[in-house]
Amino acid sequence: MTTDLNTVPAMPPGERARVPLSQRLQGLGGNTRQYGIFGALVVIILLFQVLTDGKLLLANNVASLFQQNAYVMILAIGMVMVIVAGHIDLSVGSVVAFVGGVVAVSIRDLDVPWVLAILIGLALGALVGAWQGFWIAYVGIPAFIVTLGGMLLFRGLALVIVGETVAGLPASFISISKGSLPNALGFVSNADVVTLLVGTLAFVGLLVSQLRARRSLRKHNLHMEASGLFVAKLVLVAAGIAILTVILSFSAGGTPIVLVLVGVLVVVYSFVMGRTVFGRHVYAIGGNRAAATLSGVNTRKVDFWIFVNIGVLAAVAAVVTTARAGAAIAAAGQNYELDAIAACFIGGAAVTGGVGRVAGAIVGALIMGVLNMGLSIMAVDPAWQMAIKGLVLLLAVAFDLINKRRAGS
Amino acid sequence: MTADQRVPLVAMHGITKRFGAIEALVDVDLHVHAHEVVALVGDNGAGKSTLAKMISGVLQPDAGMIEIGGEEVALPSPQAAHALGVATVFQDLALCDNLDVTANLYLGRELRSRFARDDGRMEESARRVLRELKSRIPSARTPLRNLSAGQRQAVAIARTLIGNPRIIVLDEPTGALSVAHTAEVLTHVQRLRDLGLGVILISHNMNDVRAVADRIEVLRHGRNNGTFDAATASYEDVLAAITGAVPLGRRTSSRHIAG
Ligand SMILES: Nc1ncnc2c1ncn2[C@@H]1O[C@H](COP(=O)(O)OP(=O)(O)OP(=O)(O)O)[C@@H](O)[C@H]1O
Ligand SMILES: [Mg+2]
Repeated sequence: MTTDLNTVPAMPPGERARVPLSQRLQGLGGNTRQYGIFGALVVIILLFQVLTDGKLLLANNVASLFQQNAYVMILAIGMVMVIVAGHIDLSVGSVVAFVGGVVAVSIRDLDVPWVLAILIGLALGALVGAWQGFWIAYVGIPAFIVTLGGMLLFRGLALVIVGETVAGLPASFISISKGSLPNALGFVSNADVVTLLVGTLAFVGLLVSQLRARRSLRKHNLHMEASGLFVAKLVLVAAGIAILTVILSFSAGGTPIVLVLVGVLVVVYSFVMGRTVFGRHVYAIGGNRAAATLSGVNTRKVDFWIFVNIGVLAAVAAVVTTARAGAAIAAAGQNYELDAIAACFIGGAAVTGGVGRVAGAIVGALIMGVLNMGLSIMAVDPAWQMAIKGLVLLLAVAFDLINKRRAGS
Repeated sequence: MTADQRVPLVAMHGITKRFGAIEALVDVDLHVHAHEVVALVGDNGAGKSTLAKMISGVLQPDAGMIEIGGEEVALPSPQAAHALGVATVFQDLALCDNLDVTANLYLGRELRSRFARDDGRMEESARRVLRELKSRIPSARTPLRNLSAGQRQAVAIARTLIGNPRIIVLDEPTGALSVAHTAEVLTHVQRLRDLGLGVILISHNMNDVRAVADRIEVLRHGRNNGTFDAATASYEDVLAAITGAVPLGRRTSSRHIAG
């Protein structure tokens, strides 16, 4: 009877039985598709854990998994919003090189303090986004064209600014990507206490937000998922966080700084896309742009800010990338746009727009990251790595499509 | 509102609209009072939807003036029209397949709580509205892509109950509906009139028009082509005005109001 609580009561009783099972499941689980991606990630992790004789989940490998892939996750967050709105952004890789170059030159040649240089970089990213957003939203040129132009334009500007490389950046700047949170609270039998604390806080935060969402549903007398299912989900998530936390607490540094950065971004952007009016409008535009306009959504404004936003996130990725390399390189960020786009589609975003989630894109990025790391540990030839990743992308989307057809929608 | 009953809720004067070389509307007049259902009829391409889109702020006239509650207004956007109390069901429904029923009902006018959307409050009143309309919609959380054409139309009509509209524009609201459900929509239209709203009903179905309209306005080739009292007009006369059997020349030769 639980699903019926969600049914409009005025319906004659006989009609209730006719609600198709698939629809009931949707009401029950929120998003079954999302579980599929998580499941795929778990399967791939277990597979490579076996194939690499347990090396994949060694503490230091897990830490560097995040350090190596932070840029994809950051870009994928911006990209999933772009894709949900029915656009694409091919320029992010070049923007990473351009902004990275400006940040590095400001620090090394202009003696700007690195914190200020980062702020300059973020502002520049916003400006780049505003430039592209203007052409897309207010002039009406397709994003594909505008960002294809941007890909060339900003790569060219990166070459002009950087030359070849700008090296010699301060250690404190480099530690953004290579460093970890200080082990300020010592160790408990070799486990970093700060990491354990961060993991606990992450879980408590999640628990509180879930409970509050549930309380709000109850307040309005709306359908909630069965408490058994709710608890089961929480237990699974808790287990996942606990495993990750414990593994990381034994790594050389503890919690990588970029993991905290990505974690904060995921929380903020999941909220933006899932719970705000702006997020709703992004989905509406991707679902039916004309309908959104007729309904009073300011589609141009939304489009514009989506591109400003991905510009800023590309700047964040530029800081992370430059810090990781220890230098700005004119060729930095090559193919980053493709990594981010692949992460979104593996993570369940629809090519036609209107569908996709931040969490999905992050999981998509992790799937690619685990593949990379697992294949590297197994010393698979990079050429074959590339081929395998291409097949995984194709199969992930094909699997999704076949699943949808079978569900009949 | 203590406004004189004779001041129309909406009055459009001399509306002209061109799309390139096409004259979609030429010097069209239309007014609707409170407590009144005006049917707007005409052949395909007569300009009915174009006129509806002007009241809804989607299109702006090239010439002419729109008054709401006796005051001249500019309707540069759908938001502006909605703020003045105009709610519209568009002919192509204007719904988002990827969003659920509640999200569609509130699209462009979402309720907010302190930091976010107030999804709870929206879903609660969405369910109330659907119940009022006796719509056979499985759940306020069903994505629109899972609804039938008739159910989608019900959602589009339910959208007009959100907020506090004074003027409802329905562009072919019963096209995809069964006989029983059409009857429900027509009852709904009558209820809107009883509540004191002004309704513009665009329809090709003369039975529907005769059932609920107080007045019938005919458009032909983008021009007014006759005004009829719905209670007394004969089907043949209205049809003649629609098809042009009655000579063009509005409000003189073709005025058929009885009584
Ligand atoms: N956006 C547009 N661009 C160009 N021409 C248009 C546009 N919208 C409408 N028209 C033209 O204006 C005229 C009136 O169209 P409108 O949609 O108002 O007709 P209608 O009376 O609603 O017809 P129907 O009964 O088929 O819905 C038609 O000739 C149509 O081709
Ligand atoms: Mg029409």
